[in-house]
Amino acid sequence: MSSGTVYRLADGVQVRREKFGLLFYDYRGPKLYFLPSRDLIEDKFFDGTLTAPQLVESVCAEHDWPRQEVSSKVSQILELLKTKGLIHEQSVC
Amino acid sequence: MSNQYVERGLSAPVNVTWEVTYRCNLSCIHCLSDSGENRNGELTTEQCRKVIDAMSANKVFQFSIGGGEPFVREDFLDLMDYAHEKGILTCISTNGTMIDDEIAARLNHKLVYIQVSLEGATSESNDTIRGQGSFRKALKGLEYLKKRDIEVSINTVLTKLSFPELDALAALAASLGAKFRVSRFRPSGRGKKSWAHLNVSKNQMLAFSDWLSEHMGVSTGDSFFSVTHEDRKALGLNMCGACKLTCCVSPTGEVYPCAFLQEKEFMAGKLPEMAFAPIWANSSVFESFRELEIRSCESCTRFELCHGGCPAIAYHTLKKLGLPDPGCLANCVTAKSVASGIT
Repeated sequence: MSSGTVYRLADGVQVRREKFGLLFYDYRGPKLYFLPSRDLIEDKFFDGTLTAPQLVESVCAEHDWPRQEVSSKVSQILELLKTKGLIHEQSVC
Repeated sequence: MSNQYVERGLSAPVNVTWEVTYRCNLSCIHCLSDSGENRNGELTTEQCRKVIDAMSANKVFQFSIGGGEPFVREDFLDLMDYAHEKGILTCISTNGTMIDDEIAARLNHKLVYIQVSLEGATSESNDTIRGQGSFRKALKGLEYLKKRDIEVSINTVLTKLSFPELDALAALAASLGAKFRVSRFRPSGRGKKSWAHLNVSKNQMLAFSDWLSEHMGVSTGDSFFSVTHEDRKALGLNMCGACKLTCCVSPTGEVYPCAFLQEKEFMAGKLPEMAFAPIWANSSVFESFRELEIRSCESCTRFELCHGGCPAIAYHTLKKLGLPDPGCLANCVTAKSVASGIT
């Protein structure tokens, strides 16, 4: 989870906010992926404006949640989504 | 699919079935929407664009386009282009007879899936249901699509006539580089009249269930969850998705739970004059559908596999929602046991 990296949706993937978290739609299939992340990540995070550390900062500030726990969960989620081919990293440098 | 999230209903549909016209150049005897002739009040191009705008604003991912024959609409390809500009995938269900090289070229887009309907693997069997000359024309359309490597499925409605030809249809699809999909016959539209002589027998449904397990690559559009074995559970939804992740928009803009329940009592709203979000979230029709529980099925050993089956079939055959799908696997097994004297 680098401060020089943002995350974008892979080609053909869309995402929207749901009560349980995020719903991803991958037109290669098409396939759905339900991510029970609750309020941890907004769908607009994947437009690439925030880095992951900035996301953690903003979530901690908004919800008063423990930073280490938030950071660890965000990290796990991003790895999972990368593994599933739903997002990719992009360097901001 | 994660039913725990679907059961509660999503913020918007994942997929909207949109029947874009009642007009059709064929007159299939089992047509779900009784299509053929022109009817008053179909949405204009501008109104259709507003429907697309509404779905885009609600983050709907996919349209399942049907009719009628979509390609009868002169503005159809322009409307599909507009949906693609908005990032919405279009799965177009067509009889294939109007597809030529020019249309195939325009369909060559990453957000397009095509489904061509065939009811038999030969002219003789197919044209009995879909009309004289339709098989030859559909194959020609399929060839144009194949020439451009466009992803296509052949879709067959399971009936007494198509059941004996499933293997031949699967082979035909393979020979054309197409996938094969079988969907369930429902007694709506002209299907009401042809139901008695076209619907498969319970023994055929049992045999079809086994056939599906032997053909895991055959898709069903989630229409056979009430008759499939456990081995197909991971392939799709095991409950009715109406009002939870899908709904239907008619050619005149009326919004219904699904394409097979386009009855006045199930109309939840009308587009584009009404906003879509409140129809989806708050209409009494959709709310009651989400709360629908098939109580008499809850003790069934297959309940977790089908949750009572297809409400549309129960409604059309038993005249009531909330009753078990009469064609579900448990009902078929019971009927077979009774017929053969097994208790």
